[in-house]
Amino acid sequence: MCADSIVRKFYDALEEGTILGTKCGECGAYNFPPKTACTECGSRSVEFVELSGKGELQFYSSGNLPPLRFAEYAPYAYGLVKMEEGPMWLTMIKGVEVRDTDRMTEFLAELPCAVSAKIEEVAGTKIVTFEVA
Amino acid sequence: MAGQVRLGRGASIVGVGCTQFGNILETPGIKGLCTEELAVKAAFEALDDAGLEPKDIDAFFIGGVQMHTAHMFAHYSRMCDWLGLQRKPGIHFETACSTSNTGAGLAAMAIGSGRWENILVVGVDTILSHPLDNPPEREPQDAGDLWTTTDYGADQQYAVPHGWDIAPGYGALPTLAYAKRYGLSLAAMDEVMFNINMAVRRQAVLEPKAFVKQDLPTLAQSLGYSDPWEFWNSQYNPYAAWPTRALSCLNPCDGASAYVVTPADKAKQYTGKPIDILGFDWAAFNGLADKDPINWDVDRLPFEGAYKMAGITPDEIDYLSVHDCMQIYQLVLGELCGYLEKGQGYKAFLEGRTGSDGDKPICTHGGKHGKGHAFGASGGSDIYEAVKQMRGEAEGRQIGKVPGISVVHNAGYCMHTAVTVLGRRDS
Repeated sequence: MCADSIVRKFYDALEEGTILGTKCGECGAYNFPPKTACTECGSRSVEFVELSGKGELQFYSSGNLPPLRFAEYAPYAYGLVKMEEGPMWLTMIKGVEVRDTDRMTEFLAELPCAVSAKIEEVAGTKIVTFEVA
Repeated sequence: MAGQVRLGRGASIVGVGCTQFGNILETPGIKGLCTEELAVKAAFEALDDAGLEPKDIDAFFIGGVQMHTAHMFAHYSRMCDWLGLQRKPGIHFETACSTSNTGAGLAAMAIGSGRWENILVVGVDTILSHPLDNPPEREPQDAGDLWTTTDYGADQQYAVPHGWDIAPGYGALPTLAYAKRYGLSLAAMDEVMFNINMAVRRQAVLEPKAFVKQDLPTLAQSLGYSDPWEFWNSQYNPYAAWPTRALSCLNPCDGASAYVVTPADKAKQYTGKPIDILGFDWAAFNGLADKDPINWDVDRLPFEGAYKMAGITPDEIDYLSVHDCMQIYQLVLGELCGYLEKGQGYKAFLEGRTGSDGDKPICTHGGKHGKGHAFGASGGSDIYEAVKQMRGEAEGRQIGKVPGISVVHNAGYCMHTAVTVLGRRDS
């Protein structure tokens, strides 16, 4: 991997609409977000790849006392996505109910469901959220 | 995974201490103490329990997590003289909320190495307040600030900016996952969570050192509800993050814990009831997004490793302590570690079997809600409870069939798991 900051490269890529992960040269696993080693086998032989942004929402909820930095976004949905290439990611989820718990209960029966990545600026940073199709 | 290597010399716990868990601004027993004094209180209790003096200790390991609220790092330097251990070898160590469970493994390794014999492990955290410039005055800690700095234990490069929120991630998601996996309605899960809380609060009021002083029916009564189930569903128990309710979450508090570990072959010089450290293992994982919300690698691997080192199987566990910051983990980890039957474990709570009067006792001090969670001190508090139970000294909440094998699990944020297997010598 390059000597430049991987973290910086990740966020710069998001500005361009590209979602970067890594692929392991040894075990073939995809990792997200990109780090300096494979999160599955520990190999250092990882290279940047562009991810599709497709995934499956596993579960989500909405906290009633979110961290200070996200106070202005509350209430928001926060959930676990399995990305098409394999990695799991916890992030803001768009397009789902966050207040009506009866509807949230009904929707649970439809999970997992398809989601696609939506790059959005949240609290001053571009991040990868996922939206229900 | 590398083959397990047996230590050259066994290690035993010969003394334990634990302070009141509460708020050093107001709780009787710890009110007005500074962080150093709180640590010493637990440490000296452990020394007294072992019949030892500071001069008998060869090395010390102090765990504490929240530097921001304690205004402290270098715990070894700042506390060595308070503890009577100045000039002795000592370190600060930290694995977040599993810290003083990890200490048991560190002590065992120190003894196994042959370098030192008598080890003092201390855990201390003061999180509900922070010092002012004129000691020993303190002022309350803003909760938002507390959790912002606690989140320094989570991935700040990627995960935290992505809407990081602990109640959904660590409470709601495993609850939803369990319900869906085993076909329970959320209404049925809510009943399970109600029963878990009934049990932990009932146990907590049996432990004078616990944070919680009222069981659930008494709390409900005090707020005008004669039916605790009605209270559970009332405005006083809103969702922290649907479907996880407020009462299903931890009570963060101040506290200190300590234990003395000696070589197993010398333990009987100090106590008639040595508790042996039979096995231990740890795992580190970055974040909460593992593949299966109710079967995290970070928990499963150290259970397996500690069992293998101790040479036990889950059916031999007499007492289980798990890190129940979110009470759902009593169920999830109870099943994951093999103590409760997979997919059926929720029945143990509905049937009231998990208290000290039950056949599947879990967290008899009330867990992280009932006893309270003093971050770095909690692992030691859990070990204190296990040791008291195994010695038959858990007055008022003693498990009838005195445990011979206990397993203590703690989870540090975000994440580190430590599992320690303890065995009563004559069992």
